[in-house]
Amino acid sequence: MRRAHRSFHRLLWPVLALAVALGFTMALVLRPPPDTAAVTAQELKP
Amino acid sequence: VSSGFRAVQWNPAKLIYDGVLIAAVVLYIGTYLLLAYRLDPPKDEPAAIDLRIRAFGTCAFLMLTIILSIGPLARLDRRFLPLLYNRRHFGVLTFFVALLHASFMVEWFAVQNALPDLYAEFTRIADYGKFIGFPFKVLGLLALAILFLMAATSHDFWLAFLTPPLWKALHMALYVAYGLVVMHIALGIMQSDRNPLIPAMLAGGFACVTVLHLAAGWRERAGDRCNKLTGDGWLLVGPPLSIPDKGARIVAAPDGERIAVFRDGTQIGALSNLCAHQNGPIGEGRIIDGCVICPWHSYYYRLADGCAPPPYTEKLVTYRVRVARGVVEVDPRPLPHGTPAAIRYE
Repeated sequence: MRRAHRSFHRLLWPVLALAVALGFTMALVLRPPPDTAAVTAQELKP
Repeated sequence: VSSGFRAVQWNPAKLIYDGVLIAAVVLYIGTYLLLAYRLDPPKDEPAAIDLRIRAFGTCAFLMLTIILSIGPLARLDRRFLPLLYNRRHFGVLTFFVALLHASFMVEWFAVQNALPDLYAEFTRIADYGKFIGFPFKVLGLLALAILFLMAATSHDFWLAFLTPPLWKALHMALYVAYGLVVMHIALGIMQSDRNPLIPAMLAGGFACVTVLHLAAGWRERAGDRCNKLTGDGWLLVGPPLSIPDKGARIVAAPDGERIAVFRDGTQIGALSNLCAHQNGPIGEGRIIDGCVICPWHSYYYRLADGCAPPPYTEKLVTYRVRVARGVVEVDPRPLPHGTPAAIRYE
């Protein structure tokens, strides 16, 4: 890999990893409780 | 190494790689469906299609996770290099598995005459402002579009046409696709299905890829520090015997680009550390019969002048080398591709 490619890679990775980690955590925390999950399942399925 | 156009340059290694890959995919999907049918048989056709959606979806996610782990694994441990050899076919197969996942999803709506509902999911503008309730299928579709772009440009024709730096930059979009897939699952099935295996699979896969990249990146950082320079601006490498025989020491020029300094017995030569094929790390390769072999795809170049032997035409940038006071030194100013520059020392 060229220097520029390595630098871009090092910049892109942490930003993307942080964004996805934050998104995943929020999606996990904000999940509807189990009783409403069944109703939501009908809306989201498959 | 290529001397002319062939659609796919098959060889036994590629056939074995692809054979193992297809067998693993068939085994995973077969086992998934078999277990699912045994444990909780689907009650109707949509439920059966739903199982296929999950089988192919999880398979595509795991394949993407493995693909993104191969690069850092190969940098951390050479034993993983064979996995890197035909990674492009791995990517193309992942696209087709993901495409089947998407087509089963369309079929799920079609068998229930509910295609307008699918259309509505994509066009309810208000949902795009929500976090929980975001049209997660859009994220999956975007990831599929990126995978298509990667698969369509994976051929060596596009690599040569776009040039390795641009091609590599374009293929970094795979990281974006992975992020989209994680969020596609997190905002989709993870919201409706409380099975703890879903967040475990997501978090585990994502953490694995992240940790491997951080570890490989940390190790790579050391290689970017410029070596010491002599008074006239040459890079100090070290005594000739500090370079492994038939191998190389990789040094960094002041501009950060890397130079591979090889020793073949008493011959010393310096080449660009970038293979002409995919910018692979030539300096991690070995010398066989006077030729440096790239560890990624076995492209080879003469140490003497950086040229691939006839009939091949690839050439590498070379650098002037000298041995002064028992120390190998390299001029960091590159010579034109294929310029003879290797020396012999006593």
